[in-house]
Amino acid sequence: MSEERPTPDGLLKMISSQESKSKRGKLKIFFGYAAGVGKTYAMLDAAHSDQKAGEDVVLGYIEPHSRPDTVSLAQGFEDIPVKKIEYRGIVLNEFDLDAALKRNPELILVDELAHTNAAGCRHVKRYDDIEELLSAGINVYTTLNVQHLESLNDIVASITHVTVKERVPDFVFDKATQVELVDIEPDVLIERLNAKKIYKENQAKRALNHFFTRDNLVALREIALRRIADKVNREVESSRTEVHDTPYYTSEHILVCLSSSPSNAKVIRTAARFASAFHASFTALFVETPHSRELNDNNRKRLRENLKLAEQLGAKIATVYGDDVAYQISEYAKASGVSKIVMGRSNNKSRIFLRKPNLVEKLTASAPNLDVYIIPDTQPSYNPEKFKNKFKWNLNLPDFLKTIGILTLCTLIGILFYTFRSFQINIITIFILGVLVISNQTSSKIYGLSSSVLSVLIYNYFFIEPRFTLGAYDPDYPVTFLVMLCASLITSSLTMRVKSQAKAAAVNAHRTSILLETSRKLQRANEFNSIIEKSSQQLSKLLNHSILFFPVKDAELQKPWIYNLDPANPLPAEYSSEEEYAVAVWVYHNRKSAGISTDTLPGAKSLYLPVKGKDTVLAVIGIPISDGNQLEIFERSLLGGMIYEITFAIEKYNLNEQQNQALMKAEKERLRANLLRAISHDLRTPLTSISGNASILLSNGTDIDQTDTHKLLENIYEDSLWLINLVENILAVTRIDDGRLGIQTQPELVQDLISEALLHTDRRRSEHQIETLLENDLLMVQVDAHLIVQTMINIVNNAIVYTPVGSRILIHAFRQGPWVIVEIADNGKGIPDKDKKQIFDMFYTANNEIGDSRRGLGLGLSLCKSIVNAHGGKIYVKDNQPNGTVFGFTLRLEEVHHGG
Amino acid sequence: MADKILVLIVEDDKAVRNLITTTLNASRSYTLLTASTGESAIMLAASKNPDIIILDLGLPDMDGMDVIKKVRTWSNRPIIVVSARSEDKDKIDALDAGADDYLTKPFSVEELLARIRVAVRKMNYDNRLNKDEAYFENGALKIDYSAALVSVEGQEIHLTPIEYKLVCLLAKNVGKVLTHNYILSHVWPNPAEADSSLVRVFMATLRKKIEKDPSSPIFIQTHIGIGYRMNRIQEENK
Repeated sequence: MSEERPTPDGLLKMISSQESKSKRGKLKIFFGYAAGVGKTYAMLDAAHSDQKAGEDVVLGYIEPHSRPDTVSLAQGFEDIPVKKIEYRGIVLNEFDLDAALKRNPELILVDELAHTNAAGCRHVKRYDDIEELLSAGINVYTTLNVQHLESLNDIVASITHVTVKERVPDFVFDKATQVELVDIEPDVLIERLNAKKIYKENQAKRALNHFFTRDNLVALREIALRRIADKVNREVESSRTEVHDTPYYTSEHILVCLSSSPSNAKVIRTAARFASAFHASFTALFVETPHSRELNDNNRKRLRENLKLAEQLGAKIATVYGDDVAYQISEYAKASGVSKIVMGRSNNKSRIFLRKPNLVEKLTASAPNLDVYIIPDTQPSYNPEKFKNKFKWNLNLPDFLKTIGILTLCTLIGILFYTFRSFQINIITIFILGVLVISNQTSSKIYGLSSSVLSVLIYNYFFIEPRFTLGAYDPDYPVTFLVMLCASLITSSLTMRVKSQAKAAAVNAHRTSILLETSRKLQRANEFNSIIEKSSQQLSKLLNHSILFFPVKDAELQKPWIYNLDPANPLPAEYSSEEEYAVAVWVYHNRKSAGISTDTLPGAKSLYLPVKGKDTVLAVIGIPISDGNQLEIFERSLLGGMIYEITFAIEKYNLNEQQNQALMKAEKERLRANLLRAISHDLRTPLTSISGNASILLSNGTDIDQTDTHKLLENIYEDSLWLINLVENILAVTRIDDGRLGIQTQPELVQDLISEALLHTDRRRSEHQIETLLENDLLMVQVDAHLIVQTMINIVNNAIVYTPVGSRILIHAFRQGPWVIVEIADNGKGIPDKDKKQIFDMFYTANNEIGDSRRGLGLGLSLCKSIVNAHGGKIYVKDNQPNGTVFGFTLRLEEVHHGG
Repeated sequence: MADKILVLIVEDDKAVRNLITTTLNASRSYTLLTASTGESAIMLAASKNPDIIILDLGLPDMDGMDVIKKVRTWSNRPIIVVSARSEDKDKIDALDAGADDYLTKPFSVEELLARIRVAVRKMNYDNRLNKDEAYFENGALKIDYSAALVSVEGQEIHLTPIEYKLVCLLAKNVGKVLTHNYILSHVWPNPAEADSSLVRVFMATLRKKIEKDPSSPIFIQTHIGIGYRMNRIQEENK
């Protein structure tokens, strides 16, 4: 390609992907084209040199070899003891994944990448075990034969005529950090076999005859070499795309159709090869028809396996719902910009008569501009129709009665017409109408078809000469009968078609509406709990299952919320056991689905799917499916769509929370800065007075007379008292504002609080009349004593400072329902209404002089408000009659327990 | 008291120490010792056996609590703690560890002198009377332990069993500030019944019964957030 300069974003992406790779372990595959080329030997050899270089190397699992040189090479390493699993009476040795993770070496050797684990291991496939080792940062060496690669499976099969069952998906091979080809000449290999270095004698003979023919080996070797070259090529391109920031796709888009046919697997693999060869995007489409539900179990299982295969090969799965498969495919192809379609050709002998056009022909007809690649089917013929349309003998009584009823009605109308001598043709049309109605109203084709036949017979019996016999005189009548039969058959089948199409459309609409509803509901959900609830509800509606929702809080997976589909039948306790929770935790840490119907921990009771956010898993969803009812394809794709919605909702909520926190923090900082500024400002004046007065006394002490000295000292003393009160207030602010909004409270008697407050009020209290009126001696409140005392001090001080000498200040405490009310009333000038609203704001002083004379700071009342609010009460100000002000606050009454 | 009372002042801040010494010197009834660290305080307390100790809790070398505990192993003399923190926890802990009274900085000189007077009275009371006497007298308040009778100014007061227990506890510790917890654990030993609101409720009812004017009590002094104290009434009014 052109020598474009890499974009900065591209470079960044490359570096970050490299970095993330560095946290992962490195996988090295020793790759060979047949058994016996020496892969395990090469692996052990490499491990020895690594060990000599100082690496911590451990043997995870080595296949027991009879080859003596390999066995001797395996000495000298620490090894992880095998896990013994009993299976049908035999004890099997399996790789112990948990022991390996615990041991946590730098490098571990695990033979046979394609191995399938016995039941009881966490993963079904060994390559999943190795994936977990790599995620944990452990480097792995492993071995693999070419025939185990998924995409090459049928090619190898066609050469060797042996189908290999244990397969490794291609992405595992391609993602490996290093692949080392262990290569020897086929002749040398055959020699080794003969020398019994590989297998024992009778095994060797068999191997030679079938697998190890020279031609086979040569072909396999070529495939292996080509596959490695392919991997190298792909690596070059992927690094190029990382740097250039654009995905390297041509405009090609390959589509493959999924079906339940056994040959579909080959078609999918071929399509995957096309996609990688053309560098095209790859989609697998499944067209769900009304008959899909009627597939028998084997077919359904095959369909699911084909789906899994397509996914493994990197296809995006799409589902559409409709009656006409060819039409749906062509519509999807048009809408998604598909350039090439890959399909299989069924080998069914087409009928000569009543030959329906097969799928390929229909597709070419509806989308003539599409390239269609047909993969021939070498398998025995398979007719899905036979399996699907098992004439469901759905004989239910209402439909039967309906049929009989309508036919009877037509007959009666016919007789009516006949009696009035209308045209014969009209009676026929009535019967045809009847057949139409029957086909529409009944649930199975059989009623429509049988009523077609019956109507002809009835017509013949009742209305054709000779009447009341099944004979006909007129030679024209057979033709009439034939035409009538055809008309009614066509009518009935067309009506049924229309009905099923309407049903299909309804199902489609229902599903779409669930998705739309989900989107709407989740958008409105603001609380995390309501997100959980609504998500579970919608999922449950869609899948018709109960749902387990595991939320994530503080980077830990929480216990699940259970949404029961039927509240009368809650989920049995075993579905929310510790073991099930452990599976969900595994999903959370490994970002992959697990549970029943997957390859990981398939013994679990539910299927667990991760809700993946950008960097972390946001939640885990558990779907308790019993073995028989696995998820259908269309359910899977809709589920995918829903999980997207849930991801968005949760991420939006998290972002909101973060934003709120940030805002709160900023607000707090602002307040703090304001407070400090105001304090510094307000401190200056009293400090000036104190230091000034003291310095005068020091320097001119003897020159000043007694009264003046006394006055100066009094000033100093008063200012210092004022400062003390300010400090108390500031400390009170910090106690509330400490981040923890919970204050420490004790039960206290209101009378004690008031007495304490009065001890600390301003010295000038003697200039006023202060009275206390307590309506009940045992008024008790649950408070932080110092804070409430400070509140009262502030309010009383305010009254003292802002009212003229001689005024009366009354502290009145009484009970009102569950509240204690404390009101401090003065008979001074009063506070104008406009000030009343703002008087509790910080830094607000009445008459709002920013001057220094009224050393308000304005902190006092706003602090009182904070304190009272923190206790769950309210503070207020109102006018006193006839003049003055009343400040009041409420506190929750604490019931007094008199224990005698 | 012809002898001057020996007061040990433990305070690391020079200015505050100066304030206290000047104040006490002015009243001419005290001899003063000073220490600025906990270690030297303990040594002086051991060697000179002062009558009253004024202890600052914020000492640089050790926790004031340890000083109290050490001194209390041999001496029962009054200890007044001085604390700068506005939270009550350290004062409560000090009182529970054996201190008798507390002062919060900033304190006024009057407060200081008043506290010291209380401490002196307690000291004299402790010296004179045998604690196990059957009879308690404090100003107008008289308690006859053997007859379980309480009277104020000659009038018999009817107290409930709990109130009686309370007043006896205060009397036995006259002059000392008792924390809520201390009172709870002595009067309501059963933890199932113990509820901190009980202390306040019963103190209020007791006060109503024995004080002439409950809003300005003379016998029982409330220390909000800390506890209560029975004041030693001086026969000669100062």
